Formats: sequence, structure tokens, C-alpha cells
Amino acid sequence: MFFKQVYRNAAKNRKGSGLFFGSLVIAIVAFYTLLSLGEQDVMRFLATVESDAVKKLLALLPVVYVISLFFVFFLVYFACKYQTDNRRREFGMYLMLGMKRSRLFFMLFCETVWSSLVSLLIGLPVSLFLTEGISLATAKLVGLGLIGHRFSLSIPAILWTVCGFVLVQMFAMLIICIPFGRTEPAELLRFDASKRQTEQSKAKSSAFFVLGILLLLTAYYLGIFHLRNLDITVLILLLSGILGTFSLYRGLGGFLGRRIHRKAPDARGLATFTGRQVQENVIHQHQALAVSSLLLLMALTCVSYGISLGIGRATDTRSTDFSIFASEAEIEAVLEDEEIHDMIRSVYPVYLSRTEAAIDDSVIKEALRKIDGGEAIAQSIHWDYVISQGSYNQMMAAMGKDPIDLDGETVALFSSMGREGDFFSILDRAVEGGASIQMNGREYSFYPSLCYDNIVADRAITLYAALIVPDPMFAEIALKTESYCQNVHLTDAAAEEMGLMQAIQKVDGKLDAAGLEYDSFLAGIGRNLFYTVSASYLTIYLGILFLLIANTVIGLKYLIGQRQNKHRYLTLLTLGAGTEELCSSAKKQIQTFFSLVLAVAVISSAAAIVSMFTGLTKLPIGTSAVTVITLAGIALLVFVLTEAIYIHVVKKTACREICSLEKIGGRGVAS
Amino acid sequence: MNTTDRILRVDSLTKTYGKGGNKTEALRGITFDVREGEFLGIMGASGSGKTTLLNCIATMIRPTSGKVILRGQDISEFRGSRLADYRGRIIGYLFQEFELLDNLTARENITLPLALHGKTAREAEGKMRKLASMLDIAGVLDQFPSQLSGGQKQRVAAARAFIANPDLVLADEPTGALDSKNSKILMDQLASVNRELGKTIMMVTHDANAASYCSRILFIQDGRVFHELRRHTEKESTAAFYERIVTVTAQLGGGGANVL
Repeated sequence: MFFKQVYRNAAKNRKGSGLFFGSLVIAIVAFYTLLSLGEQDVMRFLATVESDAVKKLLALLPVVYVISLFFVFFLVYFACKYQTDNRRREFGMYLMLGMKRSRLFFMLFCETVWSSLVSLLIGLPVSLFLTEGISLATAKLVGLGLIGHRFSLSIPAILWTVCGFVLVQMFAMLIICIPFGRTEPAELLRFDASKRQTEQSKAKSSAFFVLGILLLLTAYYLGIFHLRNLDITVLILLLSGILGTFSLYRGLGGFLGRRIHRKAPDARGLATFTGRQVQENVIHQHQALAVSSLLLLMALTCVSYGISLGIGRATDTRSTDFSIFASEAEIEAVLEDEEIHDMIRSVYPVYLSRTEAAIDDSVIKEALRKIDGGEAIAQSIHWDYVISQGSYNQMMAAMGKDPIDLDGETVALFSSMGREGDFFSILDRAVEGGASIQMNGREYSFYPSLCYDNIVADRAITLYAALIVPDPMFAEIALKTESYCQNVHLTDAAAEEMGLMQAIQKVDGKLDAAGLEYDSFLAGIGRNLFYTVSASYLTIYLGILFLLIANTVIGLKYLIGQRQNKHRYLTLLTLGAGTEELCSSAKKQIQTFFSLVLAVAVISSAAAIVSMFTGLTKLPIGTSAVTVITLAGIALLVFVLTEAIYIHVVKKTACREICSLEKIGGRGVAS
Repeated sequence: MNTTDRILRVDSLTKTYGKGGNKTEALRGITFDVREGEFLGIMGASGSGKTTLLNCIATMIRPTSGKVILRGQDISEFRGSRLADYRGRIIGYLFQEFELLDNLTARENITLPLALHGKTAREAEGKMRKLASMLDIAGVLDQFPSQLSGGQKQRVAAARAFIANPDLVLADEPTGALDSKNSKILMDQLASVNRELGKTIMMVTHDANAASYCSRILFIQDGRVFHELRRHTEKESTAAFYERIVTVTAQLGGGGANVL
């Protein structure tokens, strides 16, 4: 009998609230997606080329898992609270009928376990389906192709998902049940559990409202104009942003109240009621609103940051596929292998060497010092390396780019430090400004643009600064005139046919078999992918998690409030309001409630995104604006769709509850 | 009774809850009329069917059979907007637990039925001021219910019931949640609204004190009208009428054999 009751209650809970059940399933999907990251095709591939980095990332996962546990706890807590608040009378009745509190808690415990099991039965297959989809999509995106795909079922991920989910649900239920232990049955049986509304002090609410706006403006100003390094500004920005959001919502209730009061004499229908409902929600839930708004802000910025990181890394150009450190004859022997012969597009020697030429760099250093932020570069720059123009131009030709043209009085400045950040732009401005350099007593002007395409395959080898000089000059000033390595380019057809990764892996095999020392683009792309996956994947993951949690919290907070104020809707029905009118009022309330949270989050994230792209994390030069706009558009569309779905679900639930009131047929019972 | 005076006719009204063996007949064919400007009391023991009767007239529940005719129209046929119009404009309702919306100010609560029927508070400003002064709530109009005493809340609820100028105000135990002092103030004021504005009030009550303000009382037992008392307004004081009510109530409590 007892377990039959548990089974029935759990089933009723699931049917009664899609939002509740949906939240539980989301929690499971969130856990599994994160925990099975190591099993994804991309990560398995990365483990073969960048095992240390992958190990570090996988070691980081437990930390992200704990962060997720913390946030998912709120999701589950609000979902469970919504359910138990709806059943207060039922619990009161059980107690009055003689059920011991311990038995009531045991019943709730059993219901929780049962709900967890059902959620897991649905959530785990959904998660598997989703992770397989992500795995396939990312594998396709990075050129692994379908060949490398393997169905992955991570048993440890399933076990940790189950543990985390059950733990979070039990903990949430425990926290919810503790107050029930102290609540008298009469209080549980009481129809109205709503808080009372009083007019906020005008001065106090105005002060909070204005303070909130001022603090937020300060945060926006600091973020856009003063955020250059991770220093005290970041702390002040975070503090003013967080306090500003809380303060704004604290004062918003009073602001709304004054607006309603002003408009009330001319209001018709349920306009005043709708306004007061929103105001009441804001007054009682201002902390939840602030937290949700901040979560949404974090969601939007995480996703934007993740996408920009992904784009930033993805735009790293492929300059060469292999740099082999062996003699020409040895390399030729391997590349003539039938299996890979047709895949090779070009092979050329790279002339790169240290130089001991007498260099006077006072003119360029002076030019650097004149540029804002150039002093540090002027102090640290040195000219130890030279590259031959012929090698560089052969690489440019293989990449399909224009060669650089140096006459006898010009040299080019080369740096493979990457195009992100100030370093590149400062150097570029210095050479564009007509700086010069003296070598062995002769003055050379600089080629007017900076060369940046990596001269060797592995991106671990970076040259802070080097000079590209004409070949005869290289022979004159280089310490080693023989080639540094041989670069090998694969044909586009091979890359397209097999997927670049597979093609490189095939040649890798041959080079390994011959025992040659080499660096491949694979190692570079591995590192590149590692950053893409670890940074953009994790930030996007957290972003989506925040988005779902914030929306669920807002939705459930509203629905809990409406359920607590059911009697108001009954009174309005008695006073002559129709259910359609009540539903339309509820819909307006939901829209306004969500808009209030979204408005602040969207404005703040716009400021945050501007700050991200102008301050700390500039997009690399040459990143396609179309790609950025398209991806941002897709992200925005997903965001708008998520919001629309949540708002729709909450509206539907609210209207269903209102319609059920009419079926109750009023509060009267026969006397 | 002159039919032109009649505002409401309840004709052979029955209400049955449950089915088969679990059937409970709350109303068993009640018939009576209410005259315009009358202050009618409905009294009876718990379970006698008085609140069911009031809820049927208020359209909160549908009767099983019979008719409720208000100004010649059968309200059981009302649906949709006509029903909504009836609820807020033709009848006013005064609840035992006030049922004020606690997130609206007293003023907003009072003007709510008007707003629901497309009128603004500004348009009814004069009417509201008059009611507020009659019910002695002019000083608390901008306060929220949580800031009001029980008596003030019920007077605000009364103002809300009268603001749309309804044909009939239904009151369900309006003094049930008030102490004796506030009960007296409320009944004095309801009686004065009835007298001065000519409003028809139908009140369900247990309280003989409250009932003594009525001009006529119907006693209900087991879903039927069992007895009727009329107050001789010109010569009978509230105290004398009270005595008669108490006597009938005692006799009702003692069983049918003692009834007049």
C-alpha cells in the first residue's frame, strides 16, 4: 500500500509538471555530457598527439563537475520545491491523519528515488544520443571524418552521472524537508502561503534603484574602457556589476509600484492586478531575479567567449604539413613510397639560421617606443635569426599566397608569436611607419607588412622576431648556410578525400617507420584543437548550463508564486473576470517577469562582449567577420529559441492551472 | 408580493452532490422571492444548505434543477461574457474571509470590479468617495490589506461589493471573521447602505446579532425553507427582533416539534 502510494505520487508529479521532470532530465544530460568528454572522438584523437594536454584537461573535469553539481543543485532544488509547495496541504492532511513525520519523510525519500530512476531511464539515452551527435559533429568539423567515429558508452561517466544526480536530488529534498519538520499541520493545511505585500519606502527603493544603475554603468565603463589586464580593475568591475544588479532589482519593486499607482486611475481590466503581481514577484524574488540575471549574463558571455575562442583558434593558418629534419635523399626515399607519393604536393628546404651580423636597431626601437605600449617590445626585441626569402616565398606559394618581394635594400620582419593581442599590431605599425635597421653598416628599410606564417610545421617552435633577407644576403650573414629542415605540403585532393587529419596520420606512419625526425602540422592542430575543445567546449557547456538553470529558476519562481496566490484568481473569477482574461494577465506577467531578468542580462552582456573584443581578448586579425556574425547569429537564435520555449512552457502551465480553478467552481462548500 | 418589486426569484432549486449511494441533497426544491431594497437574512444550522443556496445564486456552482431568475432572466443560462458581466456588475459578493487581493491597495481592490468591466477608477471617483466615507475607510484607501484591521478589511470588501452598483449583494457570513465590536460597526454600515442607497442585500449568517439587522429572515433546514421571520420595521427595534430570532433558533435546535 505504502509503495503503491509512492509510485502513484511520483507518477502524478511527473505528469503534473513537465518543467519539473524536464529539469531533472536536463541535470542528467548536463552531467553525462561533461563526464563523457574523454570518450569523444576529438578527445580520443587528441590523446594520441597531445596526451599531456588532454590528461591535464581531463584532470580539470572533476572541478567542472563539482561546479556543475553546485549549479545543477539549484535547478533541482527549485524543481523539487515547486513540487513540494504544491503538496503542502496533502502533507498537512497526512500528518492530521496520524502519519508520523519520519514516515512522511521516508515516503518523500522513496518518491525521490523513484523519480530519479525514471529520470535516469529517460535522461541517459537522451544524453548518449546527444553526446554521439556532438562527437560526430565536432569530428566532422575538425576534419576527422566519419572513419574515425566510434560509438562510445562511458561506464564511469554513467556511474558518476547517477551518483551526482541522486546526491543532488537527495540533498535538495533534505533541505526542502527540514522546514517541514518544524511546520505545524495547520500551517501546511492553510490555503494561502503567500507573503504579504507592503509598500516599500519610497526613498529607500529609489536609492537602491539609482545606486544599481550607477554601479552597473560604472561596471560597463570599466569593462569597455579600462579592462586591459587582470588587475584590481577586474575586482572593482565584478563587485560593482554584481552589487549593481542586486541593488537594481531591490529598488525595482518600488519603481514599478509608483508607476502602477500613477496609472491606476485610468487602468481598465486586469492592468493594475497584472502590474501588482509583477511588482510583488519583484519585491519578494529580487534576489532570485538578480541571480538569474547574472546567470544569464554568464551564459551569454560564456557562449560568446567560447565561440570567439573557437573562431580564433580555427583561423590559425596551415602553413606547412611536415618539417622533416633529415637529408634530401632520406626524405625523397620515404616520399617515393607508392601509397603516399600522390599525396605530396611540394617539398622544399627551409633556410633558417642564427646570425652574428653587426645590427644597429636604434631606428626601429625608436619607432616602437613612439607607439603606445611599444616600450616593452623595444626593450626585449632581438635579432638573432634570419630566414631566406626563397624559403619563405616557396612556403607562400605552397599556401597559395603572394610572395614577398625584397629588393637589395629591404628586409622583412617576421614573427610567429600569433596575431592576437597588441604585440602583432605594434610591430606591424612600426614597420608600416617606415622604420629601418642597419646590418654590417648598411641601412635596410623594412618590407611594409609583417610576415607571420609559421616557417615550420610545429607551432611549439615560435620565433619572437627574425629577419627575412634576400638569399645572397642570407648566405653572407647566416651562421649555418645548409638547410634547417625540409618542408612538405600535401595536396588539397588528399586532404579533401581522406580528411586532413587522416591524410597527415598516414604520412606520419611512413615517416615514423623510416625513423626520421620530424614535426607535423598534426601536433600543431592537436594543440589548436586542444585549446578549441578545452576552452570553447567547456565555456559553451557552462554557458548552456547557466542558461537552462536561470530560465528554470525564473519559470519555477513564477509558478510557485502563482500557485501560492491561487485564491486571488478565484476571487477574480467571482468578481467577474473570465478565465481568458486571467490567462492573458498571467501571460503578460510571465512575459514581463522574464523580460525584467533578460533586459538587464542582455544589456550587461552587450557591454561584456564589447569589453571582451576590445580589451582582454581581441579577435585575431583576419578573422572573417561573416563567420563571426553567422556564429553569433546562430548563438543568438538558439538563445532566443530557448527563451521562447521556456516562456511558452511556463505560460502553458500557468494557464492550465488557471483553467483548473474554474473547474473547481469556486471556494464554496455546502454548509 | 407585487411582482414589480421582485428582484430575484428562486424557484424549486435543488442541488445534489455525489452519485448513487453517495448522493447528498443539499437543496431540496427551495422557492422564495427577494424584493428590491430588501435586507434578507438566511439562517440555518451547519449543513442546512444555506451556503450552497448562496453559491448557486452567485453562479459559483450550478444547481441540479430549478431556476434562479434575476430581473426576469434565468441566470443558469448565462455563459461566457454574460456570466462574467453578471458576476461583477449585477451581483456583488462579500466573503467571510474578505478575499481582498493582498497585493493591491484598498483603493485598487475597491475599483477592481469596475476595471474588470471596462471602467476606470477615475470615472467612479465620486462614487468611491461616497462609499468610503459611508463605510469609514476614506483614510486607508492607499494602504495594502496587510496594513488594515479585520474590520477595515471587511469594510473595504463591502465597498468593493457595492462599487459597481450591483442589483444584489450576496454576503456569506460577513461577520464570521470579526470580533463583536467590528461586527456591529460593519452591520450598522451595511444597514445604512441598504437604507440610504436602497441596495438589496442577501446575507447568510449564523449570528443572530447580525441577522437582527435584516428586514426578513428565511430559516433553512435540510435544504428546504423551514420558517420565515419578518421585522416590523416601523415599530420593532433591532433588540426585539433579535429576541425573536434567538427564540426561533433555539426552537430549530430543539427539533421540529417545538417550531412555531
